Amino acid sequence: MAEYELDCMGEACPIPLVKAEKKLAELNVGDILIVQIDHSCAMKNVPEWARKEGHNVEIDEVDDGEWEVVIEKMH
Amino acid sequence: MGEIQRSGSGIQRSQSSRSSSRKPKKSQIPYAVAVFAAIAAVGIILSTVSAQLSIFWFTGSIFGFILQRSRFCFTASMRDPALTGSTTVTRSVLIAFAITSIGFWAIKYGAFLRGMPIPGQGYVVPVSFATVIGAFMFGIGMVIAGGCASGTLMRVGEGFTMQALSLIFFIIGSLWGAHDFGWWKLNVISEGKEVFLPDVFGWGWALVLQLLLIGCLFVLADKWENRKKES
Repeated sequence: MAEYELDCMGEACPIPLVKAEKKLAELNVGDILIVQIDHSCAMKNVPEWARKEGHNVEIDEVDDGEWEVVIEKMH
Repeated sequence: MGEIQRSGSGIQRSQSSRSSSRKPKKSQIPYAVAVFAAIAAVGIILSTVSAQLSIFWFTGSIFGFILQRSRFCFTASMRDPALTGSTTVTRSVLIAFAITSIGFWAIKYGAFLRGMPIPGQGYVVPVSFATVIGAFMFGIGMVIAGGCASGTLMRVGEGFTMQALSLIFFIIGSLWGAHDFGWWKLNVISEGKEVFLPDVFGWGWALVLQLLLIGCLFVLADKWENRKKES
């Protein structure tokens, strides 16, 4: 059960999503991916995509306008 | 449980990564009150100059607030169906189009009934392949820039620095476009045909057909979202 951090600070909308998609594909089931973002739009579409794919998702607002999307790979 | 903690949705995450990034947050409510007061003050000052200016100021502020809170994004509405297969934003944009269609129809038809000049007819402009090509280019640009015009403005306001750069080039592009627009209008755009749907179908059918088309797109978007995943 490894934990990976993906730094997407300063990246605009679709880039965090595409990065998370690619990174998550490399992970093993049960691993956790922490996507760090500061783009409000990505805060919406990254969790939405991950939930739709059937992964566990949690959002943590670590600072004003900075979020960590925690994704647990389920399959 | 040692350094592992179990949270609400059941994701286990080491305590170290969680606490290291956690900073105490300052309350933003005083700023909110100050900004609200400033908006009201500027609105009142503008109203002494011209009532219309202060209406623009207030509708602009309200529009920005709604855009930011709703995370409404025209870019995402066109991009997400292709990128993730999600059409949530697409469908909300379609609903917005339906509502504005009814609103604009009511304003225009109301003016028509009372025999007044129909407002906003200056925006009925020729359509041609130039529209399609322009829309396609705009689409590529907004996906690369990470937002359309309103989205870019909203995110600059949020303090997203990368899009301040988008804004600079957005202004340069707009100025360049405005500079050459006369030529394009004369040589390309005026080749097209002006279509005002009520002139073609009559007032009632124009609204019905437009809503029907939006309804069809909504159903298509819903089908696309829930389609079987090809694996």
